[in-house]
Amino acid sequence: MNTPPLYCLPVLVRSRSLLLSLLLLGASPLATPADVAAAPAAPAATTAPAPAADAAAAGDASPADAGGTRALDQQIQDLKKDVIDLNRDLFVLEEELLFPANTQVAVFVSMDVGDFFALDSISLKVDNRDVSNYLYTPREVAALIKGGVQRLYVGNLKAGQHELVALFNGKGPNDRYYRRGATLKFEKGVGAKYLELKITDRARAQQPEFEIKDWE
Amino acid sequence: MGLVLLAAAATVAARAADASLIGRTAPDFALPAVVGSNVRLSEYRGQAVILSFWSSRCSVCARQLALLDRLYSTYRSAGLVVLAVSVDDEPMHAEQYARTHTTSFPLLLDTTKAVSRAYAIDRLPSTVLIDRSGVVRYRNNDDRADDSSYVAPIRALLDDAVAAP
Repeated sequence: MNTPPLYCLPVLVRSRSLLLSLLLLGASPLATPADVAAAPAAPAATTAPAPAADAAAAGDASPADAGGTRALDQQIQDLKKDVIDLNRDLFVLEEELLFPANTQVAVFVSMDVGDFFALDSISLKVDNRDVSNYLYTPREVAALIKGGVQRLYVGNLKAGQHELVALFNGKGPNDRYYRRGATLKFEKGVGAKYLELKITDRARAQQPEFEIKDWE
Repeated sequence: MGLVLLAAAATVAARAADASLIGRTAPDFALPAVVGSNVRLSEYRGQAVILSFWSSRCSVCARQLALLDRLYSTYRSAGLVVLAVSVDDEPMHAEQYARTHTTSFPLLLDTTKAVSRAYAIDRLPSTVLIDRSGVVRYRNNDDRADDSSYVAPIRALLDDAVAAP
């Protein structure tokens, strides 16, 4: 894919929000004159009428009208799909522009078991600079325990030596407040760098264990 | 004269803040609760949400929270969620309030005021009503608001739920 110049970025970001707005309105940014003519019908498709009115309308409608409505509905669904596809492409493009592969650093969080630790929040520092402070809800923790992996942070770093410090807050064994840190010094090369914060249970010690893994 | 101008400017600024949020997606946040676990707004997408900003030192806020508690017990089964965001500097004050007043919805702590800033809160109590798709639909800064001020907007938000698939 050809990468557009950086000055295009604000336009792309604006385009994404515009596309999303259009999607919500049930319209397309690539509207043809036919679409424009059909546009007044679109809101009717997105806001459902009252059940009684709906039934009356269905009873009165001729087969030709019903066929026309179905075609229009199909057209709207196709347009929505196009907008979603376009939005996905723009999202990928935006990510590539904001976090180019040669400077990208991403930090992921995973949790194994979680019997000895109820995660509350994680604070992240890169080179002694706060980059993320994330509060976890019970649903998010449940998702992590089920095997989910969360991308906690994505940013840019120049090549060279860097230090990552992660502070984990939560409740440890016996419901006690628990705060632990993990540090990793890593070398950022020319490619993207992926790091994983792993929370595991150490069954023998009945304690949680925190480590930072460097995905080489 | 100066005071009048200042008051007029403040009113205009408040209306601009109101206007800037209504019709827009409610800024997402995650806050710790005074009692219980953390709460993230986006997890309530699909439900009508009332955000009430309050402080333990504001007596009108206490009345408002009691009113919201009544409304919550009436409409919670229809999909209403109430989140009360404390703007107290000290979490201890909100905790004291929670000990002496019982509410059936979460009391959240916004000690850094990041959420209050995001919602352009300039007076207390302030209430923001968010629809099921996460869009801010109403704001209420009236300190004399009663049940009737909220019932119509709440019902409108909940009726939307019936219309939306």
